[in-house]
Amino acid sequence: MTKRKTWLYFLPYGLWLALFVIAPVALIVYQSFFNLDHQVTLDNYANYFRSGVYLKMTLNSVWYAFLITLFTGLISYPTAYVLHQLKHRQFWLLLVILPTWINILLKAYAFIGIFSQAGVANDFLRFIGVGPQQLLFTNASFIFVATYIQIPFMILPIYNALDDLNPAYVNASLDLGANRWQTFRRVIFPLTLPGVKAGVQAVFIPSLSLFMLTRLIGGNKVITLGTAIEEHFLTTMNWGMGSTIGVVLIVAMIIVMQLTNDHEPRGGAPR
Amino acid sequence: MKKLSRLYLILVFIILYLPILYLIMYSFSQGTTMTHYHGFTWQHYRDLLADPRMLAIVANTLLVALLSSLIATLVGTLGALSIHRTSKRVTRDVLLNLNNILMVSPDVIIGASFLIFFTTLKIPLGFGSVLLSHIAFEIPIVVLMVLPRLKEMSPSMLAAAQDLGATTRELLSRVIVPFISPGIFAGFFMALTYSLDDFAVTFFVTGNGFSTLSVEIYSRARQGINLEINALSGVMFLFSLLLVGGYYWLQQSNQRRKRKRQGAAS
Amino acid sequence: MSQPIIELRHVTQRYGDHTILKNINLTLESGKFYTLLGPSGCGKTTILRTISGFNQVTAGDVLFDGQRINDVPANHRNVNTVFQDYALFPHLTVAENVAFGLTLKKLPKADIATKVAEALKLVQLADFGNRAISALSGGQQQRVAIARAIVMQPQVLLLDEPLSALDAKLRRAMQSELRDLQQRLGITFLFVTHDQEEALAMSDEIFVMNNGEILQSGSPVDIYDEPINHFVADFIGESNILPGKMVADYQVAFNGQQFECSDAGIPANEPVEVVMRPEDLTLTTPAHAKLTVTIDTQLFRGDYYEISATDDRGHDWMIHSVNPAEDGATLGVNFRPQDLHVMRLHEKEAEFDARLETYEGTEESSRDQT
Repeated sequence: MTKRKTWLYFLPYGLWLALFVIAPVALIVYQSFFNLDHQVTLDNYANYFRSGVYLKMTLNSVWYAFLITLFTGLISYPTAYVLHQLKHRQFWLLLVILPTWINILLKAYAFIGIFSQAGVANDFLRFIGVGPQQLLFTNASFIFVATYIQIPFMILPIYNALDDLNPAYVNASLDLGANRWQTFRRVIFPLTLPGVKAGVQAVFIPSLSLFMLTRLIGGNKVITLGTAIEEHFLTTMNWGMGSTIGVVLIVAMIIVMQLTNDHEPRGGAPR
Repeated sequence: MKKLSRLYLILVFIILYLPILYLIMYSFSQGTTMTHYHGFTWQHYRDLLADPRMLAIVANTLLVALLSSLIATLVGTLGALSIHRTSKRVTRDVLLNLNNILMVSPDVIIGASFLIFFTTLKIPLGFGSVLLSHIAFEIPIVVLMVLPRLKEMSPSMLAAAQDLGATTRELLSRVIVPFISPGIFAGFFMALTYSLDDFAVTFFVTGNGFSTLSVEIYSRARQGINLEINALSGVMFLFSLLLVGGYYWLQQSNQRRKRKRQGAAS
Repeated sequence: MSQPIIELRHVTQRYGDHTILKNINLTLESGKFYTLLGPSGCGKTTILRTISGFNQVTAGDVLFDGQRINDVPANHRNVNTVFQDYALFPHLTVAENVAFGLTLKKLPKADIATKVAEALKLVQLADFGNRAISALSGGQQQRVAIARAIVMQPQVLLLDEPLSALDAKLRRAMQSELRDLQQRLGITFLFVTHDQEEALAMSDEIFVMNNGEILQSGSPVDIYDEPINHFVADFIGESNILPGKMVADYQVAFNGQQFECSDAGIPANEPVEVVMRPEDLTLTTPAHAKLTVTIDTQLFRGDYYEISATDDRGHDWMIHSVNPAEDGATLGVNFRPQDLHVMRLHEKEAEFDARLETYEGTEESSRDQT
């Protein structure tokens, strides 16, 4: 193949890299140095770090993302583990994937009905004697729905890691006198840790930016980084400040990647 | 222990599916609320079919999904071929990392940065900007689906084809593309689901005149319960089932064909 | 002597500081079975890739039918390869694999079908055309790879360790099949292997290689009986190699004794090495023997016993015998003058050949000048 032809093959992909990967990232950094009057300024960053509102919002967002990731992990690992031992596990795995194909907004919308004053959740609470509660537009409901949405994205990488695990290691551990729990703690879990890390990557970062959930379920009580960006870009039209928060989110993303990166992301970020 | 783990699994599946079934159940309920079943009706489905705005949006969504997936598959496959051909390790790692940026970026960042990009270039927001955005975030997943197949290709197989007289073009069309076609197919499929699923990016770059299903559901859901959305989710769930079923069936029949050939050997 | 089909002239291959091939000269005649034999990393596969067109040499000429083909790409050479891992296309059936090269040539469909059927019949896979590659055993895949190459009617077929993935029994069966195939097709085979048994069994001529050099070339019998140096003697077959000294023509001394041998043309008192094959040695009573040894261990190999022994000077001996010996017994060893082969240290092949010519006469006419 001549050099020239190779170059032509690369052209569309190279154009994409330049226009839709490098340029947008550069633009968002560039934009973060402009104020509302299109003047170059560091005010946005000063604003971000000085006024307690933004820092508090960031901490809040990270804290919620952490909780969502934690709950997702706690539910998903046992699920993946049990799932992997089933006979028709390919079929059951398909059942785990299927809900991810339902539009995320439809799932969020379902919870508007479920959590409403007269919804099933309150019926259930009445039934067990707690009595009806305000469920919708609370922090708890936001975390619950976000966890619900993220579970499949955590199960999949953990399941794959379990699938990659050579059963001979487990047998060797049992052979050497470890019991089931010791085998799990000292062999299975450390060897499937890359799957957990991939799952954390797939859940934590999107959880920082789930603005539609904060609007529909959280009732604007929870403000995440994503909500703030959306508001600055589409409501108050302060793109400079929005970009500044965007840069913060990108930095947070890089930190998470560094902490969890010994493994290529398998499924990618959920949308 | 075993019973307990089964019970746990059943519970998880109930949680996973309850909201979806709940949605669909109320699509057949009379009245206007998602509380207390009021008896069976097709009314909401009739409303849906008689809603020209909704039907136009469904058509738009499908058009964007198909068109963007096709283009993304083409560009992504070329990209995977280029990355695979790169012999320098450093260059390849850089390319791969750049490729993955859009995979790991939060949707809001992609949406916001694309919005700045389109505004800077004075590209009007609407069908064009949505299509371009979808193509852009679908390309990396196609690359990631095609690359493993390329890696599985043994160098001696390519040498064998050349040894038998294949030119570069024939090598590509007769050996490489057929060999990686499962990866290309899977990439196209993933691109399609990414497009149908996307809300945040589209929400940022869509402007006023153009809408996709996700954006429409969001704006209607903000106004409260509307059982026409339930009917829509019923239709979409059926559509997803058909897609999954079709994909599964295709894979199975592929394997069956293979097995049939193999069966002849024994 | 017919026109050579392939010639390598002063071929050198370097990668950075690494020299893979050192001034290789090699001639292949039409219709013969050649083998490149050597340990892994000796450069034999590089020679193959040079001929097939996948390797550009640093210096020297590659000639095909008298034409220089250094710059002709692989897909334009009338040479085909059977690859070590077969390199069959997994997405095509057996017949489609075999037809691959012909369809590229845009031959009529009917012609292709006939040729594919013939080729498959030739490798005894006539009814396998519609199978998937993954449904074949290793031996069958091997045959498909051969069929795919020979259907192109190349003048030279290159085989890159094609039997290495097969089990021992199948490997033996394939050896005679390959030899038979080559004789029926009448084309040149160039076979690469590190297995001396394969090389000896199949070849008209063997090139023994080490460290990027051809050390010796000749018929299997020549190479086995008259290895040029310690490496060749050790690499091909089992051997007992002892340091010695030339006394005069046809007289060599080792182990403190003088023996009659069949070698000449070496200056007196030159230090040499003496090779004796284990199967040429016979055990007898010490009284009638040329040497005395003590038996250490023996292994039963099925058709013979492999006996390890030590002589009174501490040299180890290996003897093949149809009868067992008793461990610890002291026995005599006998051999004939023609069972001894004397090797000069650092003798090059040309000098070796010239020396043999001086006293062996016309017997060596089959040897090629390389």
